[in-house]
Amino acid sequence: MEEEDEEARALLAGGPDEADRGAPAAPGALPALCDPSRLVHRLLVLLLMCFLGFGSYFCYDNPAALQTQVKRDMQVNTTKFMLLYAWYSWSNVVLCFFGGFLIDRVFGIRWGTIIFSCFVCIGQVVFALGGIFNAFWLMEFGRFVFGIGGESLAVAQNTYAVSWFKGKELNLVFGLQLSMARIGSTVNMNLMGWLYSKIEALLGSAGHTTLGITLMIGGVTCILSLICALALAYLDQRAERILHKEQGKTGEVIKLTDVKDFSLPLWLIFIICVCYYVAVFPFIGLGKVFFTEKFGFSSQAASAINSVVYVISAPMSPVFGLLVDKTGKNIIWVLCAVAATLVSHMMLAFTMWNPWIAMCLLGLSYSLLACALWPMVAFVVPEHQLGTAHGFMQSIQNLGLAIISIIAGMILDSRGYLFLEVFFIACVSLSLLSVVLLYLVNRAQGGNLNYSARQREEIKFSHTE
Amino acid sequence: MRGSVERGWGWGHCASSPLLLWTLLLFAAPFGLLGEKTRQLSLEVIPNWLGPLQNLLHIRAVGTNSTLHYVWSSLGPLAVVMVATNTPHSTLSVNWSRLLSPEPDGGLMVLPKDSIQFSSALVFTRLLEFDSTNVSNTAAKPPGRPYPPYSLADFSWNNITDSLPATLSATFQGHPMNDPTRTFANGSLAFRVQAFSRSSRPAQPPRLLHTADTCQLEVALVGASPRGNHSLFGLEVATLGQGPDCPSMQEQHSIDDEYAPAVFQLDQLLWGSLPAGFAQWRPVAYSQKPGGRESALPCQASPLHPALAYSLPQSPIVRAFFGSQNNFCAFNLTFGASTGPGYWDQHYLSWNAPGCGLPSSGRLVPTSPGHHGSALGAPGLMLLGGGLVLLLHHRKYSEYQSIN
Repeated sequence: MEEEDEEARALLAGGPDEADRGAPAAPGALPALCDPSRLVHRLLVLLLMCFLGFGSYFCYDNPAALQTQVKRDMQVNTTKFMLLYAWYSWSNVVLCFFGGFLIDRVFGIRWGTIIFSCFVCIGQVVFALGGIFNAFWLMEFGRFVFGIGGESLAVAQNTYAVSWFKGKELNLVFGLQLSMARIGSTVNMNLMGWLYSKIEALLGSAGHTTLGITLMIGGVTCILSLICALALAYLDQRAERILHKEQGKTGEVIKLTDVKDFSLPLWLIFIICVCYYVAVFPFIGLGKVFFTEKFGFSSQAASAINSVVYVISAPMSPVFGLLVDKTGKNIIWVLCAVAATLVSHMMLAFTMWNPWIAMCLLGLSYSLLACALWPMVAFVVPEHQLGTAHGFMQSIQNLGLAIISIIAGMILDSRGYLFLEVFFIACVSLSLLSVVLLYLVNRAQGGNLNYSARQREEIKFSHTE
Repeated sequence: MRGSVERGWGWGHCASSPLLLWTLLLFAAPFGLLGEKTRQLSLEVIPNWLGPLQNLLHIRAVGTNSTLHYVWSSLGPLAVVMVATNTPHSTLSVNWSRLLSPEPDGGLMVLPKDSIQFSSALVFTRLLEFDSTNVSNTAAKPPGRPYPPYSLADFSWNNITDSLPATLSATFQGHPMNDPTRTFANGSLAFRVQAFSRSSRPAQPPRLLHTADTCQLEVALVGASPRGNHSLFGLEVATLGQGPDCPSMQEQHSIDDEYAPAVFQLDQLLWGSLPAGFAQWRPVAYSQKPGGRESALPCQASPLHPALAYSLPQSPIVRAFFGSQNNFCAFNLTFGASTGPGYWDQHYLSWNAPGCGLPSSGRLVPTSPGHHGSALGAPGLMLLGGGLVLLLHHRKYSEYQSIN
């Protein structure tokens, strides 16, 4: 621990104070931008880190942005269409456990990042080729490869962030990275349909080739991310040489045998997580057609409203993060978030009210849930099991997403959107039930999940005494 | 019949030939005559003993105090005359020699005349075709460059007796009599008429609910060669106006797409200000059989406009029943858009219109949302309420303990 602090100090020695003065360093020193000990340099690194994840987030929701086009050009029904999301998730059911391990023990952070970026690029290219060659199986395979890189790249991104910013602007950096991810998704939602129509006008007709080329152009963002990965690797190595900094580690230790020691509250948190997210992401994946058909939105407006969850999440995540940090009472916040999501889905399902209301509510509750739910894991497992718990949570979340994506497609094809919404409402209700149970269990066991921030401070204080 | 009779409705097998399908529900009965849960149905082909084969199908639906008559005929363009009477004993009288004469007025009558509460007619006048190449605006009207339409008055039709009467349905299958370009060499346009003795829902989408008061029409274009690579087909439909006004066209939006996934709209044609008769359909057609979401085509209806009688192919049965002094109104239905699936995929198009009927939107639009709402909303609210009660309860409890 001490070593780590020292390392952080070494890396961050520049500090904002020094950089703020903006005065050139001692004669012979590097210009501020090239000096790893300066804030300006770290900002450059931050920029690279943000764009590192941009490509994968941009391309993750390509299918949602082009739902009608994919289904029409590839002549697939919704069930098969949703397989594109399912394949992404399948690869991550297993990989969540090993991403950290691969970075720490096998590749190292630099090569790990580059390799995962390559997977993302190759996956997207294969996905696009599947369109060009009119082979849907190739598209599915592309999404699988893309999935291998995507989620692990997020782990690598976090590791870089910790390595460069621990003890300083770390929370802000995490927040910015998350915002950048959401911006990637939003840009995708609003750009790809337009891009498709431009390519269509250029080629003279719609079809699988148009789709393939559009996706290939979308893949440029992945190349951008790969370039960021390469640049980061260079800068990180350079910083190591100059500042004698060690390569960043995720520090995750995964022991699958820990699973048997997981407590009931942790399992409830898993259930809340799975039941909640399966009612959000597959919905967004299928949302565009819903908004055009039910509410008569134009294609552009439907894209915009479908991405509003991400748009809201970008600025609100840090705000809610602060709110939850200051107030504590995580379970109550989670309860509010899940209940709001339930209301939002009910509005979408059973009313013809302007869907902007429901989607904004969904966006707010989604951001709030992320801020209140994930930190709870740390309260219910010992620190040495934290890696396993997080890995497991991501893994079953992906498993849930993979399965529910397929089921959602099937429901939509056979029973329509109303039934699909009812299904999502059932999922959220289950999630809500689990929150209430969690509250009761926590209460009965005298757990610390629902302490206010002040109570937590007091406990911390009494421990240190 | 160029093998089309043998093929019957088995268009699912002719994957190589084009097909288009659409369904319409028709209903003709004023208030007071409606709401019969079951009706005694009879389908009868009225033969013409005197002359050549002519299809005249009489569907008679008898309730306890009313009778509905639907008379379908392929004499001239395909047409249906809908009559609702307030007696269970009304009958249809056909005078073939007058009906086939140039002045058919009075050749078709429902007796007694004073029992008639409502009557109207629909005439399917033309099959339209548009070239939608280079049309990027899907809402464009017309949806492309029009080809010369096929007049349904110039079609030759099969003998519907062949398709009777196993399932209370009859199929009018036709192709142009003069077909120099042989576009219908392997194809046909079919109108399948079905009646129901009680309310139910068909197995095929769009699965509109029909009742004993309604009859359903399913239009299918199978195997005809389109005249362009991106041909869109349409139907011109004419109806009788009321005085100077046209019947009104309504779009109903509902939250329920259970029976026709992703179709939330119901189009209705309403005759008269008082709810009298209606035709309603989901604005969707299918380019494959069985229809599913992946083969769904949007179906757009143009507004109704007054049409000059001489500009439309005339239906002798309509003239025979209503006389020659009538205002006609017409509208076009277009199936598909320049993008998306189309007739060109499978050379198949089908459209459903559940029938002549009563504008009982409350009855025909399913009420399942209420069920879903109460089934799922209630537990959700209970959970929420229960959670809050428990929360408060626990708080009191803990305070009590702390005092001790």
